[in-house]
Amino acid sequence: MRSNSYTLIFTTIVTVILGFFLSLAVTALKDRQILNVEIDIKKNILRSLDFAPSTENPWTPETVQSIFEDYISSIVINANGETIKGKNPADINSDEDSAMYPVYIKTMNNEIDGYAIPISGKGLWSTLYGYFAVESDGLTVKGITFYKHGETPGLGGEVEKPWFQNNFKGKKFVDNNGKLVGVQIIKGNVDETSIEAYHQVDGISGATMTTKGLNNFLMDDLKTYESFFSRIRTGGGA
Amino acid sequence: MSFLSKKSQQVLSDPLMNNNPITLQVLGICSALAVTVKMDTAVVMTLAVVAVLSVSNTIIASLRKLIPSKVRIIVQLAIIASLVILTDQILKAFMYDISKQLSVFVGLIITNCIVMGRAEAFAMQNPPWKSFLDGLGNGLGYGMILIIVSFFRELLGSGSIFGFQVVPDSFYAAGYENMGLMVLSPGAFIILGLIVWVQRIVADIEEE
Amino acid sequence: MIEHYISLLTKAVFVENILLAYFLGMCSFLAISKKVDTSIGLGLAVIFVLTITSPVNWAIHHYFLEQGALSWAGFPDIDLSFLNFIVFIAVIAAMVQLVEMILDRYSPTLYHNLGIFLPLIAVNCAILGGSLFLVERDYTFFESTVFGFGSGLGWFLAIVSMAAIRYRLRYSNVPVKLRGLGITMLLTGLLSMAFMAFSGIDL
Repeated sequence: MRSNSYTLIFTTIVTVILGFFLSLAVTALKDRQILNVEIDIKKNILRSLDFAPSTENPWTPETVQSIFEDYISSIVINANGETIKGKNPADINSDEDSAMYPVYIKTMNNEIDGYAIPISGKGLWSTLYGYFAVESDGLTVKGITFYKHGETPGLGGEVEKPWFQNNFKGKKFVDNNGKLVGVQIIKGNVDETSIEAYHQVDGISGATMTTKGLNNFLMDDLKTYESFFSRIRTGGGA
Repeated sequence: MSFLSKKSQQVLSDPLMNNNPITLQVLGICSALAVTVKMDTAVVMTLAVVAVLSVSNTIIASLRKLIPSKVRIIVQLAIIASLVILTDQILKAFMYDISKQLSVFVGLIITNCIVMGRAEAFAMQNPPWKSFLDGLGNGLGYGMILIIVSFFRELLGSGSIFGFQVVPDSFYAAGYENMGLMVLSPGAFIILGLIVWVQRIVADIEEE
Repeated sequence: MIEHYISLLTKAVFVENILLAYFLGMCSFLAISKKVDTSIGLGLAVIFVLTITSPVNWAIHHYFLEQGALSWAGFPDIDLSFLNFIVFIAVIAAMVQLVEMILDRYSPTLYHNLGIFLPLIAVNCAILGGSLFLVERDYTFFESTVFGFGSGLGWFLAIVSMAAIRYRLRYSNVPVKLRGLGITMLLTGLLSMAFMAFSGIDL
């Protein structure tokens, strides 16, 4: 049996050494991790806007940065859908400026090819974060992605799978009278002959509550951006 | 492996079959099964556990004569937890996509009974090199089961291996469907139960 | 508002049981589920410790470790969340000790019944898992408490039903090599399927 002071000194030394190495590692890796998160978000914006990596052209951090710089421009809009000049999404501080919303615009051959907006809200367990992209007509869905969620793999976690996300493509979130109806994930498969099929998407079996949450927050986010998209639809431009 | 003595070889190979940590010592199942839906996560998880287990065993074995017995559990825990944090940070920095899928389960390596169990049962009594081999062997024995389970779950549940589709489209056209149950948790329990059964027949072990 | 908590509770107990859906706490589950009364003891201890550690760890994460959590102390840029793992496990170990001492002092009978299980709990993955999940899922203080209690209750139900099933199993003719761990895993699979039947519940 060793003395108490030995125990105390020993534990102190162990704590200091472990603490030193951990802080060293964390500080050394921090920049890389922050970069990873940023690249991941950019990848998601790109994917929602119909970019995809190929075998000849895989997505490395550098290629993602360069594609993003070449094709994507970003603006910030206010609650009325007007562009706030001189701001970019990095200026938005979620705590202070509640009435500033980012929009990422894809430009191909000098023509606007789509808009991506961030979406987020509660699923079954967790807050889901992703991007929702709209075609240049302002009413057709171009794509949807999720980059962060804590849903169960195989159930709610299916939201990150291509089969689910691809279902959104080509759906419309506005009805013939120009009213915002949102995209609705239904239980089971969509009946293509139904008159509602234009805004309905196949559900995920076993994930009723995740998809219900998704329906709700998608609608909320679309409402926020409605004034922006209605300007596009009426030809007012961005 | 001629550079290893016969005894060292045994320390390394025993946990793979005759004394496998999962199927025979019944340790470390906690964090094992949740990451076995896909093979790539299972492989990364295996690497993480092997790394943590062999390094923690080595460190604890080299400190074994210095650690006061009163606080040995907490010292072991601190060393293990630090190594797990390190692993988590490295995964986040270099394999971001996979670390996102592993989410909380990397952290749960801390409470993985294998790591604590081997530290307490082996590393506290044996020299560093042997403890390192013991850690390696147990980590690999654990990983082997993980990879077998994930192989079946991914093959039957998603029709793919390492994300590449292996079930031909003609099968699906003929009415074959992926087994949804395999993706969900009951699939993991049932596959593991069957593996245990087969392994006990092969190794001829009985439980009373 | 109360519906929200009831819904969270149901989810934690039945729909996504921490043991049967996330495989957490398997080691002690397999080792202890041989007898019903010891299972009840361990199950109660898990409920107890999870209900206490979840909100405590939430508070520590929220006020000390999270990015920007130290702004009250004048360090708004510090992000200590990498320390989550080690701090959580220390809190759990300390809480288990504390609970043990309090029980010993004020309720000797309960201490006598739960006593031997409490040290086992410090390394039960379900406890650490509960704390890690509540960070991952951004719960509030009350949600964390409800979630902790619910997860514990779910774990309790799973281990007690398993022990009861294994008790009945003694009268069955199980293939020799399947006895013990093999059949237990298969049964856990079936139990897990039964709990999944609750996943349609919508409150």
